[in-house]
Amino acid sequence: MRPEQIVEATLFASQTPLTTSELARADDELTSGIVSEAIQALREAYEAEERSFQIYELGDGYQILSRPEFASYLERFDSVPRSPYLSGAALETLAIVAYRQPIGRIEIEEVRGVGASSVLRTLTDWELVEVVGRGEGLGRPLLYGTTRRFLEHFGLRDLDELPSPEELPVVLSGLEDDAVDAPGDASEAGA
Amino acid sequence: MTLATPTERSTNTPRGRSPLEGVQPFLVELDRFQGPLDLLLHLIRAQDIDIFDIPIARITRQFQLTIAEGLDDMPLERAGEFLEMAASLVRIKAQLLLPRPEKLEWEEDPRAELVRRLLEYEHFQDVVHVLERAEAQRGRHFGKGYVPDRPAPEGMRPELAVELHDFLEAASRIPEPPPPVRVRAPTRSVTVAEKVSLVRRLFEKAKRIAFERLFEPWGTRAHATAAFLAALELARQQVLRIEQSKPFAPIWLFAGGWVAATRGPNDDAPVSDGEPEAGEASP
Repeated sequence: MRPEQIVEATLFASQTPLTTSELARADDELTSGIVSEAIQALREAYEAEERSFQIYELGDGYQILSRPEFASYLERFDSVPRSPYLSGAALETLAIVAYRQPIGRIEIEEVRGVGASSVLRTLTDWELVEVVGRGEGLGRPLLYGTTRRFLEHFGLRDLDELPSPEELPVVLSGLEDDAVDAPGDASEAGA
Repeated sequence: MTLATPTERSTNTPRGRSPLEGVQPFLVELDRFQGPLDLLLHLIRAQDIDIFDIPIARITRQFQLTIAEGLDDMPLERAGEFLEMAASLVRIKAQLLLPRPEKLEWEEDPRAELVRRLLEYEHFQDVVHVLERAEAQRGRHFGKGYVPDRPAPEGMRPELAVELHDFLEAASRIPEPPPPVRVRAPTRSVTVAEKVSLVRRLFEKAKRIAFERLFEPWGTRAHATAAFLAALELARQQVLRIEQSKPFAPIWLFAGGWVAATRGPNDDAPVSDGEPEAGEASP
């Protein structure tokens, strides 16, 4: 079997993103490098064949997902609970953690002007943030950071995909009129 | 919402405040806001106020009026957060009113810290919009398992047919509750030291002791507790080690602590009856 076929079969059968090293476990001949090349080849093939799905990069893994143009068709099957959209408090807290990590609860509360313990507990339960260490200060406070699941939830490849503080105004003005783009994949825009 | 109108304001403020500092009717729902900074930022942005030159008196009044409406229905903690901000606003207002030395430096502006916090908060509101957008985009992609499974064919579902008769029969099989346990006052106290010497005596005869043997003949809680503490103490002293193959399985005490057990081969295997489960003897 060709590496592309093995990688495709594995991705096809998986419900969660898989890293290249996880995918390489499918066959002794596979290495992370070969898997990466196979993914690239598959992506190009799907693109050329106008498939309804694509391989997307989420966190450090890859997953086959339907393309956004097909959302309206698939949403008709929406009888299974999906992960709900996050509340304003949760998004605010995540925004601060994402840009200031590692960060303690007190610092988050200073920025938000409101308490953050319950929202941090929820985000920890949902594995969107995790304790990444302890601070130096009084009582060695817990420090929080974002998780792989955070990237997956927002369709991000890595944290660098979030705009830098200087880029933010530009990005936001661009958001007003832009079309829906694929998560973690800028290479196929305009297809 | 009842808010003071400009006419009311002018009648009950005889000290001739600037009209700019007066209260404009301003209707907002407090529930919409994440917290005091969110509300404050809204008041400022919605009125196109220069954030670097906030009319503190006017904003303070608007802030107070807005929170006065919703405060009663608010959890105490959340209300406290709004009140704290209201207090800081009043403090800044007071500092602005105090006579200051002629030489005014920009750094001395009592509003500076508030402005810094508002700008920082606003920055993260922008990030929230970016995240919201990303979340919505991600929500338009679907992975395996999204479309629900087809229901299993009829024959494969076990029939759940229970009639009253079955139910009563099941109920009749529930055993009678046991008779109440009679509680005895201990007639003689037992010490941990006694149990320790009991363990040592037993180890002279066997390499392994069932934990129950240390207290069962007496059948009191005091004995069980003393035996338990004695076992822990001896384990700490490396005289014995405690093993249990799984929860609620019999507990065995083995002569020689963990140190001794890990040092040599597994040669202190139990000699008495009641062989514990395979593999359990090796640490």
